[in-house]
Parts: sequence; C-alpha cells; structure tokens
Amino acid sequence: MEIRSAYTEIRDDVFYVNARIDYRLNQSALDALENGVRLNVELDIDVRRRRRLIWDPAVAELRQRYRLSYHALSERYVVSNLNSGDVESFSDLATALSWLGRIDRLPLIDAPLLDDDSRYDVSIRAVLDVKELPGPLNLLSRFWGDWRIASERYSWRLER
Amino acid sequence: MKRAAAIGLGILGFSFWFGSMLLLGRATEGADEFGRLYGSLFLLNAIGVVTLIVLIAVNLVRLVRDYRSRMPGSRLKSRMVATFVILSVLPLVIVFYFSVQFLNRGIDSWFSVDVEKGLSDALNLSRATLEIQMRDYLSATEEMAVRLQEWIPVGLAGELARLQRQSGALELTVIGSNSRIVASISDREELDVIATPTEEILVQLAQGLSYVGLDPLANSGYQIRTAAMIPMVSPFSEQRMLLAIFPVSERLSSLADAVQHAYSDYGELSYLRRLLKYSLTLTLTLVLLLSLLTAVWGAFFFSRKLVAPIQNLIAGTRAVAQGDYDTQLPLPGNDDMGFLVRSFNEMTRRLSEARRQASASQATIENERAYLAIILGRLSTGVISLETDWRVRTANQAAGSILGFDLESGIGRPLLEIARESSLLEQFVDIARRHIMAGDSEWREQIVLKAEGGRRVLMCACSGLNSESGELAGYVMVFDDITALMQAQRDAAWGEVARRLAHEIKNPLTPIQLSAERMRRRLLDRIEEKDAQVVERATRTIVQQVEAMKEMVNAFSDYARAPDMDLIQIDLNHLVLEVADLYRAREIDVTIDLDLDSELGSVEIDPGRVRQILHNLIGNAIEALNHKKGGRLWVRTALETDGEIRLLSIVVEDNGPGFSLDAIEHIFDPYVTSKPKGTGLGLAIVKKLVEEHGGRVDAANRDEGGARMSIVMPVDDEARTALLRKEAHSTDYKGERA
Repeated sequence: MEIRSAYTEIRDDVFYVNARIDYRLNQSALDALENGVRLNVELDIDVRRRRRLIWDPAVAELRQRYRLSYHALSERYVVSNLNSGDVESFSDLATALSWLGRIDRLPLIDAPLLDDDSRYDVSIRAVLDVKELPGPLNLLSRFWGDWRIASERYSWRLER
Repeated sequence: MKRAAAIGLGILGFSFWFGSMLLLGRATEGADEFGRLYGSLFLLNAIGVVTLIVLIAVNLVRLVRDYRSRMPGSRLKSRMVATFVILSVLPLVIVFYFSVQFLNRGIDSWFSVDVEKGLSDALNLSRATLEIQMRDYLSATEEMAVRLQEWIPVGLAGELARLQRQSGALELTVIGSNSRIVASISDREELDVIATPTEEILVQLAQGLSYVGLDPLANSGYQIRTAAMIPMVSPFSEQRMLLAIFPVSERLSSLADAVQHAYSDYGELSYLRRLLKYSLTLTLTLVLLLSLLTAVWGAFFFSRKLVAPIQNLIAGTRAVAQGDYDTQLPLPGNDDMGFLVRSFNEMTRRLSEARRQASASQATIENERAYLAIILGRLSTGVISLETDWRVRTANQAAGSILGFDLESGIGRPLLEIARESSLLEQFVDIARRHIMAGDSEWREQIVLKAEGGRRVLMCACSGLNSESGELAGYVMVFDDITALMQAQRDAAWGEVARRLAHEIKNPLTPIQLSAERMRRRLLDRIEEKDAQVVERATRTIVQQVEAMKEMVNAFSDYARAPDMDLIQIDLNHLVLEVADLYRAREIDVTIDLDLDSELGSVEIDPGRVRQILHNLIGNAIEALNHKKGGRLWVRTALETDGEIRLLSIVVEDNGPGFSLDAIEHIFDPYVTSKPKGTGLGLAIVKKLVEEHGGRVDAANRDEGGARMSIVMPVDDEARTALLRKEAHSTDYKGERA
C-alpha cells in the first residue's frame, strides 16, 4: 500500500488535497473482508509548521475515515464515508479500492490561517485496519493476524 | 483503630479485585461500553497479578529465610502455607482446565455446518426474492426507455413525471451524452444530489446491455438501481440513457437486512472464532491467575496471622526460660489462641509475683543471716557449726580467737583438715571427735588445752542439729575460754587460804615460842650438861622454826592483805633506777642492765606496789641466776600504745635456766616455786599487784635462754578506764590475756 501521488492546490483561499493511493490488501485482510469483517480505512493528513530546532507544531489535522465491507446479499463491496455518511457500492473490490484511492479536492485549510513567513509541510498517510472489534478481541487483534496495513508517510511542501 | 483500618483496606481491596474481575468478564461478553474498557481492565488486572506475584515472592523469600534460620514457628507456617495453597490451587486449576475445554468445545459447537448452510440458504432466498423484483424493475425501465425515445427535451419532464407515477420509481433521470443530465425527477427527499451513472453502469450500457443493481443504503434498507439506453430515433440523434431508482418494500428490506446481518455476523464470528477462543481463555486465565495468586497470598497472610501468636508464645516461653518473668504477650483476640495467650500472661504474672516474693523472702533470710552473723561476731563465746561430714559451716570470730586460728577463712573445709594447721585446734578437735565417734552428739565438758603461753581452759558444749525430717544434719559447738575465770577463782581461794592460815596459824605461834623460851630458861641451869645440850638444841630449833613459820604466815598475810591503792604521779624510770641501785650495791655476781624509755615520763601508779613488783621480779631473777658466772639481768621500760590507750611496759629478763614447761602454766599460782628456798608467793603477789593496776603480766622463756617477765599496765586512770571498757568489748584481748 502506498501513496502514489499527492499535492495541494489553492482555490479561493482554500487549500485542497488531491491524492492517488494504491490500496493493496494482503491475504489476511482479504480473508477477513470475504468473511464479512469490516475494514476501516483512515487517511491522516497533517499540516505542520516547520521549525529549525524544535518539533514542528501541527496547524491542521484531517482524519478522513472510510469503511469497506462486503455485502453478501447484494454481492457488492460497500464503501462508507464515515465523515460524511455517504455510501457507495461496487460490484468488485478493485473498483471499490480504486474509488477509495482517488482523493479529489479534499478541503484542507483556509489559506489566511497560515503565516506568510513560515514554511509549512503537508503529510499524508493511509492506514487500513480491521474494524474495531468488541472487548478482548480488539486487544488480541493487535497481537494476532496482520490486518493492519499502513502506508509510508508522504510529505510535501505546502506551496502557495 | 489500626485493626479497623486493616479490615477496611482488606474489604476495599477485595471489592476492587472482585469488581475488576466481574467487569473483565462482562467486557469479554460483548460490544457494549464495557467492551471498550477491556484494555484498561486487562491492564489493571495484569498489574494486580504482577503486584500479587511480587508480594508472594517477598513472602516466600521471607519464609525460606525464616525456615533456614530455624525461626520458631516457621515450620508450622510453611506447612500451613503449603496446605492452604494445595487446597485452593488444586480445585482452581481443575475448574480452569474444564472451563477451557468447555469453552473451546462450546465455541466450536456454535459454528456447525447446519447453521452455516441454513444462513446461506436464507441469504440465497432473500437474494432470489429481490432478484424477481429487480428483473421486474429492469423490464419496467427498458419499457420506459422505449417510450421516451420519441420525446425531445421539451415535454420530457412531464413524461418522466408520468412514468414515475406509473412505475413507482423514486427517481428517474435522463442522461445525455457526456453524462449530461437532460431531465430528472426525484422523490428522494433526503438527497439533494441527483444520481449520476457510475462507471460500472456506463461500461454495462456501452456493451449494449441494461443494468440492474441492488444498492444497500447507508443505515438500513435497499434500493434498486436500473439503467437502460433510450433507443435512438435516428442515427444522428443524441445517445441517451435512462437511470431509475426503485425502492424496496420496507418489509422485504428489513427481512433482507436481518438475513444479511445474521449472515455477516455469523461469518465474522466464525472467522474470528480462534481469536474469540483466545480472548475468552485469556480472560479466564487472568481471572484464574488473580484468584490463584490471591489465594496463595491469602495463604501467606492468614498463616502469618495464625502463626504470629504462636511465635509470640515461643518467644515468650524462651524469655521465661531465660528468667524474664515480666514477659507479657499482645492478645490476638478472643478466640482459643487469645485464651492461650491470656493464660500465658497470667502464668508469667504469677511467676513474676512468686519470684518477687521469693526475692523478698531471700532478702529477709539474708538479713536474718547477717543479723545472726553480727551477733555471732559480737559474741565472746566461740561458735562453730559443722556439717555431718565435719565441714565447717559457720564459725565466728571469737571461735577463731579462742582456738588461735582464723576459722572464718576455713568455712567449707573439713575441720579435721584445718585442725592440722594449729595444735590448739587439733587438741580441741580430738576431744570433740572422741565424743562424736562414741555416738555422743550431745555433750558438755570442760576441756584443757595446752598452749604455748600456758594452758587454756574451755567450757565446751556440743549439740546435734536435726533437720525437719528428724535426721542429723550437723553439729553446733559452743565454747567459752574460762581460763581467766578459773584463775580468778583460784586467786580468790588462795587469798582466803592465806587469810585463814595467817589467822589460825599465827595465833598459837607466839605461845609456842614463848613456852619454848621459858622452858629453856627454867630448865637450862637446873639440868645436867648432857641434857642441857639437848634442851638447848631443841628449844633453839623450836624458836627458829616458829620464827620461820611466822615469816611464812606474814608473807601469806601480805598476799591476802589488800590495802587501798595509793596512785600518784611518779617517774617510773627513777623508781626502777632506785631499786636497781639497791641490788647493785649488794655486790652480787649479776650485771644489771637498764634500758629506760626517756619518753615514758611521769606515770600514775602506786609506788609502793610497783617497788614491791620490781623487788620481787629482780630478786627472783637474781635467785634464779644463783651466782652463775656471767649472769646478766636486763630491765627495760617503754611507752606503748594500744590504739588510743597509752600503756607502760616493764620487762625483766635474765640469762638463767628459764622456766620449765610444766611450771610455766602455774607460775603465778601461790606456793609454786622453782627455787630451793621461798614461799612461792613472789610471782603470785606480782600478778596480784599488776592486776590491781589494771595491767597484765606474762611469763615466757627467751629464745636465747633464760626467763622473761613482761608487765603492761595503763599509764594513768584515764587509760585504765579505757582499757577496762575495751576489755569488756574485745574478745581478742580476752583471748590473748587468757
């Protein structure tokens, strides 16, 4: 799983994120999905102000969360945007994943909120995990199985 | 207060432990709010487990250390801990084993083939039902598309509305080329966005096929989406498609949803069952561990609580064994152990009390003993107590003084052994042993011992000491030195004899003498020469012998006579010189040497009596020398002190034959003499005169040969009084004088 490309564009004083993510599920995740276990997909997007010596403070943090599941009755893969509540269904997994991997014009931050003199970096990371399981299963899922897949963090400079 | 706090803390800890275990169990069950707490609860319980392990380890180390150092009670504690642990751990482990087995089999039994097949069939049934409806809606959509081919955009909306009403579709949309929406009508109030054809639809339609699909809605329910190409009127007309969205009846939706959910949940659970087994086993293990460790720790705790009073008792017993009777143990409670501890405390209290009383009794006995020792010490009577084996048990100072041996240092030693060290004691012991060997434990006898300075007369009484059981436990011998008393009695008797002799004998002597003289005078001229010689010889003898008898009677008279003392201050040295000069003037063969102490000065004495003493002593000595060639005589005076008391000393020595040992005992008795001539009253008178001065006289032989007479008397009246007082209190002086 990797971030193929990501960039920001500014339009009407708002920064938008565009990204292309290649979601590739491993066998565990595929098995889980086929058996009706829902998978969570989370997109972490940070805007951080660069500082020379000390840590970089986060100016904005965006969490875009999706849920991917297999609907046995309709034999379709259902993707729910947990932020907006939108639901999309697809007849095959590849389509669903490609739909998930296409981020177009996701509003990130208002440009006036940023300091003109500072440098800002944007980073994005995608994490795919089994849905939050009840009670002890959740704890054990951390140690058994390799459902959790995370991409490398992809960073770029916020250009105006 | 401390106990209440401990109980409170215990209840709190138990509640916390039990609560957390309950919550853990509840959290394991499902997806409610406890499910989210599972992680925290697990961590909390894990911390509990670690804490308990640490506590148990500490307790175990302590127990092992106590056991190795053989600390009292550690063995009992070890046994109790082992018993508790076995009793609590074994059932828990068995229950755990069967629980895990039951759990695994139970979970496996949920996921049977039959259930899976049933669910799958239900899903297929639902799908078939929906597919019938989908096919109907697809046909309807294709029909509507055909009907719309004639319609140009003008009036299309009206036709769409009519078709919608007829078909019961939720939304109808006509899409032109480039996905342009030509016309649309929708009853979907919840959405303000008109559905556009998805890529999937476009691909399907491009292949000349109509599209039908079942779309699950966000929350619940379904909608059926259809799409069909609107046939072109002419080859040049625009390609258009009709998109329709149909509702699925609520009843069917809910049934289908139920089946879908059941199928999905079952599938999920079936897929996760291994994890589920692990999680339940883990929870169970954690609860078991907590219970088990709590039980083990409880075993340590309660065994410590139970053993503590026993350890206290052991420590207390040791303390009592070492003589600490004041030991009081803390009360563990009102149970049997409390009763035992109370009894122990009562016992030590009584022991302590008994010891205090014993100490008091001992102190009383010690006081009595000391008091007795003081009395014995003050007694002038000698007291010796003996064990049956003749070991000296008690001996007072007077006994030592009388027998001339420090008997007090010989306490504990056999008397027969000590006796070898002193001849006086040996004689005494011989007499005593003779009685006791003869089985005579009660006896009384006046015994005479031969000493260097003369004989000692003791009045001795012995008595057997009987124990409480009546057995002979020893002897006590009480004796008094009665030498002086005997001497005094003898002196008194001799005085009486002398007085009577003087009186009875002197009276007829004068008539005898006178008769003899008259007989001589009358008869001498008248009888013949021959007879006259006889008469002359006879009468002369009578007169001479009567004269001698008179002298003797006068001497006795002098001895018996006791004129008043005439004490005056006089220079003793001068007196001695005077008397010595008298003898020197007689031209005798004896050299008289004087050694007079110039510090003596004037002393308070009766000069007449002292002159008599000097005459008697010097005269005796000169007679003893008996014209011996080189005969010498020494007279010494000196000032002596006995403590604070000032005494004068007169010593007369000669180098003559000295006293025979037999005579020395009776030298001061009247009518005892070693001389061919003499009345035998000289030394008796000396002794009488010295004693009248409050002094004493001793006779001894010089080591170099010859006799020594020593006189000691007080220098004045004050010293005389002090000496008398001292004599009354001192057994020493008495002993020595005797």
